[in-house]
Amino acid sequence: MLMTSTFLLAAIAAFPQEPRFHAPERMVSDGEPISVESPGYASPCWADVDGDGKKDLLVGQFNKGKVAVYRGLSDGKLAARAWLKAGGKVAEFPDVW
Amino acid sequence: MDVNQDGRLDVLSGSYSRQQKTMAGLFHVAPGLGEGRFGPIEILRGVDGNPLILAFQKGDAVRQTVRICTRQSVVDLDGDGKLDLVTGNFAGAFSWFRGVDKGSFAAESEPLPSEGELAVPAHSDPFLVDWDADGDLDLVSGSAQGGVYCMRNVGSKTSPKFAERVVLVPPVVDPHAESSVFGDGHLRGPQGDTRVYVDDVDGDGKLDLLVGDCVAVNELPKGVDEADAMAKLAAWTTKYQAHISTAPRSNDEGAMDAWQKGYEALEAERKLFCTQVRTGFVWLFRQQ
Repeated sequence: MLMTSTFLLAAIAAFPQEPRFHAPERMVSDGEPISVESPGYASPCWADVDGDGKKDLLVGQFNKGKVAVYRGLSDGKLAARAWLKAGGKVAEFPDVW
Repeated sequence: MDVNQDGRLDVLSGSYSRQQKTMAGLFHVAPGLGEGRFGPIEILRGVDGNPLILAFQKGDAVRQTVRICTRQSVVDLDGDGKLDLVTGNFAGAFSWFRGVDKGSFAAESEPLPSEGELAVPAHSDPFLVDWDADGDLDLVSGSAQGGVYCMRNVGSKTSPKFAERVVLVPPVVDPHAESSVFGDGHLRGPQGDTRVYVDDVDGDGKLDLLVGDCVAVNELPKGVDEADAMAKLAAWTTKYQAHISTAPRSNDEGAMDAWQKGYEALEAERKLFCTQVRTGFVWLFRQQ
């Protein structure tokens, strides 16, 4: 079966102002869509992790509990992937999602 | 998030299980040292010195899944100046450990206060943000079935209470359906197992959604003709769906074994013309 993904513009009656979104776009780095290692489960975070005043994209993943860091660049693009390090080595959060 | 309130960002993660007798996830934190550096990963502990673990709540029926923690957010949920730890779980519920001091949390978790049922279809993914701009924190979450939901805070800044969920982004019809095409070019948005972060990503003053997902992508093995593989994949998908529809509904082990062997044979057959890779992407929903 073709994976059909019809994303209607979201409309919520409960809100004073109904939020509407543009069609979703994939975040890219180095011209390629950002993706995580098998078996998936991308978990994004948008924060200035290196304190340079520009927000960076962090993406957690299931495999080995690693976190990818895509540094925010001055032109608004994201740098190539680097792995988050903790204690001087690539961070691996135990038993992670 | 700055879990220990030392002015430096820390990285916090939930986990599936500590791999002991009962399923129970731990929380881990990599303390920030500044300039993008982090100290060794530590287990987050409560004020009693024991690792924080989700408590069973009254009425919990699926006991194996309620203590498996998914993602957390650290925010001052009740406006007392102390950061609280809000977490999701496998079952789809939401709990919090009240903040006691900087980087210190109550030993016992409590369910988030709500008007009625407060849950998403498994794998709750709490993110707290003032989505409706009324001065208190609302709850936004992904789910195992995909989509993005919002549960408005209908209480107050100091006494939160969350309303039932409404849809911000509809889930796909079947987030775990088998794809009958190769590559990922057909994807138009997140699939299942959505994880959400909310911020003004494009700097236009409006909150946007960053949504991570989980998806299986078909790839063409080396030396396999694409047209031929497409035809085989279409025929295979028909057989696969027929097999799935015959899954035993009873506890008959013999029937289950036979069905499982059929499933494994189908998986082996597909590998001849199609390699399936599981991955996840990050999607940006810009608010208009």
